[in-house]
Amino acid sequence: MSTIAPTRSRRPIYEGTRIPSPIPTVLKTTDELWATGDVLTVNFGPNHPSTHGVLRLIVDLYGEDVTGLEAVIGYLHTGFEKTMEQKTWWKCITYPERIDYVSFQNNEYVFVAAVERLLELEIPPKAIWMRTLLNELNRIHSHLVWLGTSALELGAISMFWYAFRERDQILDLSELVTGYRMHTRYFQVGGLAEDIPRGFYPEARKFCDWMPHAIDDYETLLTRNKIWLERTEGLGLLSAADAIALGQSGPVLRASGVDWDLRKRQPYLAYHQVDFDVPVFPQGDVYARYRVHMEEMRQSVRIVEQCLDRLENMEGEPWIADDRKVVLPPRHELHTSMESLIHHFKIVTEGFSVPEGEVYTAIESPRGELGCYVCSDGGPKPWRVKFRAPSYVALQATATCMTDALIADMIAIVGSLDTVMGEVDR
Amino acid sequence: MALDKPLRDMGLKSERLLMPTKASKFEEEVADLEQKVGLTTLAKAVAWAQTNSMWPDTFGLACCAIEMMSIVSARYDIARFGMEPFRGSPRQADLLIVSGRVSHKMAAPLRQIYDQMLEPKWVIAMGACASSGGMFNNYAIVQSVDKIVAVDMYVPGCPPRPEQLMEGIIRLHEAVKAGVPPAYELRSVAS
Amino acid sequence: MSLDATPGFVELSQAHGEETVVVDPSALIEAATFLRDEEGFNFLSDITPVDYLTWGERSVSGYIGTTGGRDLNTPMTQGYQAVPAAKPKRFAVNYHLLSISDEPRRVRLQVWLEDDEAVDTMIPVWPTADWHEREAWDLMGIRFEGHPNLKRILLDDDWEGHPLRKDYPLGGEPVRFSGEE
Repeated sequence: MSTIAPTRSRRPIYEGTRIPSPIPTVLKTTDELWATGDVLTVNFGPNHPSTHGVLRLIVDLYGEDVTGLEAVIGYLHTGFEKTMEQKTWWKCITYPERIDYVSFQNNEYVFVAAVERLLELEIPPKAIWMRTLLNELNRIHSHLVWLGTSALELGAISMFWYAFRERDQILDLSELVTGYRMHTRYFQVGGLAEDIPRGFYPEARKFCDWMPHAIDDYETLLTRNKIWLERTEGLGLLSAADAIALGQSGPVLRASGVDWDLRKRQPYLAYHQVDFDVPVFPQGDVYARYRVHMEEMRQSVRIVEQCLDRLENMEGEPWIADDRKVVLPPRHELHTSMESLIHHFKIVTEGFSVPEGEVYTAIESPRGELGCYVCSDGGPKPWRVKFRAPSYVALQATATCMTDALIADMIAIVGSLDTVMGEVDR
Repeated sequence: MALDKPLRDMGLKSERLLMPTKASKFEEEVADLEQKVGLTTLAKAVAWAQTNSMWPDTFGLACCAIEMMSIVSARYDIARFGMEPFRGSPRQADLLIVSGRVSHKMAAPLRQIYDQMLEPKWVIAMGACASSGGMFNNYAIVQSVDKIVAVDMYVPGCPPRPEQLMEGIIRLHEAVKAGVPPAYELRSVAS
Repeated sequence: MSLDATPGFVELSQAHGEETVVVDPSALIEAATFLRDEEGFNFLSDITPVDYLTWGERSVSGYIGTTGGRDLNTPMTQGYQAVPAAKPKRFAVNYHLLSISDEPRRVRLQVWLEDDEAVDTMIPVWPTADWHEREAWDLMGIRFEGHPNLKRILLDDDWEGHPLRKDYPLGGEPVRFSGEE
């Protein structure tokens, strides 16, 4: 595991803890400031160009200093968990994608992985490698959307167009494989829904050859840019101990100096078979989180290339498990085998059942630890599904990061936590 | 009585009809209006100006917002229609693209934003969730945003491709150029 | 595993590669502090409340038998109707813990509650529990003693009821089709 050499920062991460008390997630203006009569409470409402979705922040301002902060969420609460309890296991798979709508493939995977653990299904290698590849492409996609929108908010408006140019290339790949740009519903319980089409490998190679140049372009624009450094260095400090106490994971945790990535520590899919580094930066500020995101994009391209190397030698292998109680049989068998016909009929009409049990599966989504708790009563529908959303937890850290922040810094800090409100509100 | 000639001849070129002589449902609805549809030269000029710079409001809620952002990107380029300045303030916006699922908690801010927009204003319900509640028929989601605001154009999809959204926008432009009044004059809110 | 030494220990079960420690609710704070300090579980991933009302009231057929499929040595296990074993109380609150260290481990800390029982807040042990507990209160109606800010978080402040409970309906509306007026 390597760490990329850290740059110098102006202030060290603080001593002690900055978690507010008694409520860890609410920053309260002190009484002395209230007594001055100059504190203004501003509503940073659910409809705002810079809040990454429908987040409402109630901010107390003393001049331009942010002295009090409370986040109000729930404007996108969709009732995913309750709705999924009413759908059969197969139909449920369309729902998790829409929770974190920027990294949809990872969401799909975590639910499918949890169900497969309950079923104790053996997944064929081709599906494992393709899932890894699509998850990593999705990671790049998510970081590009983050980069485009965060830079846009801080004033680097042209980054939006550059980032979305590459993002469209990724969505082209996604459309090539799955038929749809976003919310592909390509992962099936047991493997993949369809085989990988032939034109995919050369297109993906082209993308992998181009992407490092694109990341170089972005870094040329931002990494050594004086204005970017002024606006992001030393802001939103979060120490390692505070980050762990607040449940942070993913880039926020790695930017606070904690070397923790579930892909390396508790590997799933094919991550233990690929070579990649995990960027860790010790400064704990917005700039460190930016560097972590950029490096992760590079490492994801490395992983995608290695997956392509393996997948190109796997032509003709099965892409889904063979358990006919759960997985549809291949169509040509329906003409000849009565058992296959019955299995097909039962799975399509009634759906399969998952044995009784409960399981918690966690993966490293682009935002952090994405967990899915599934409880089954042995029936055709889930009993309880709960998603541990990393953005939900990341928003809890806004109050802690907001010490000595101006209102313009608040935008940078909330943006750097990389929150997606669909995930927060579920 | 409201229409002298079919909508196709009034500028709605994208109305695809299987039987050119039979009116579509939209055309029937427009024909039912009391006042005459059709524009004087001055009104035509005003409508041309309105459609060529119809500025949207940043009302991205969920997944559809990401696809709405991508129509601003260079590949799908909404700027050729004059619509790339997404205004942050509803007072400066003409078009509200409700992109994403509207929860009951968000319904009040949505109505407030809609009320803060100045007339003439148009609403596009983008995606399945805004058009009808989508796949979320439950306690949390308002089943169609036309229960809260008057909708001019529904764009189906989950999420709709950028080209699909642009088709919706172009049809809206054609309707405006043909003289169809904005939805708040035709109906208040759906029941 | 020295998880047996957890204060208030009731039972330890293992399934699907995971361990679940069931603990008495009255000893929850000591158990949590023990797990954080002695066992090294410094990271609280998630708090998941589950409602087991009507558990086991529908008999389920299908993939019961063995997880590997039909057991050929036990005839007639395919499609065997089975009722899952009853649960001790109505609600279970699961705390998913992780130790961020060189030897990562996960454990699930579980307590069982009846409808009106409350459980101690975990904020003194893991501050991240704040919003998780608020969500558990909001959606499932589980009260947390000592929580400084137990208000609704995801739903409107004046919402009545707790939607994720099994006796709360899904809601929604019947779908209208344009053909029928």
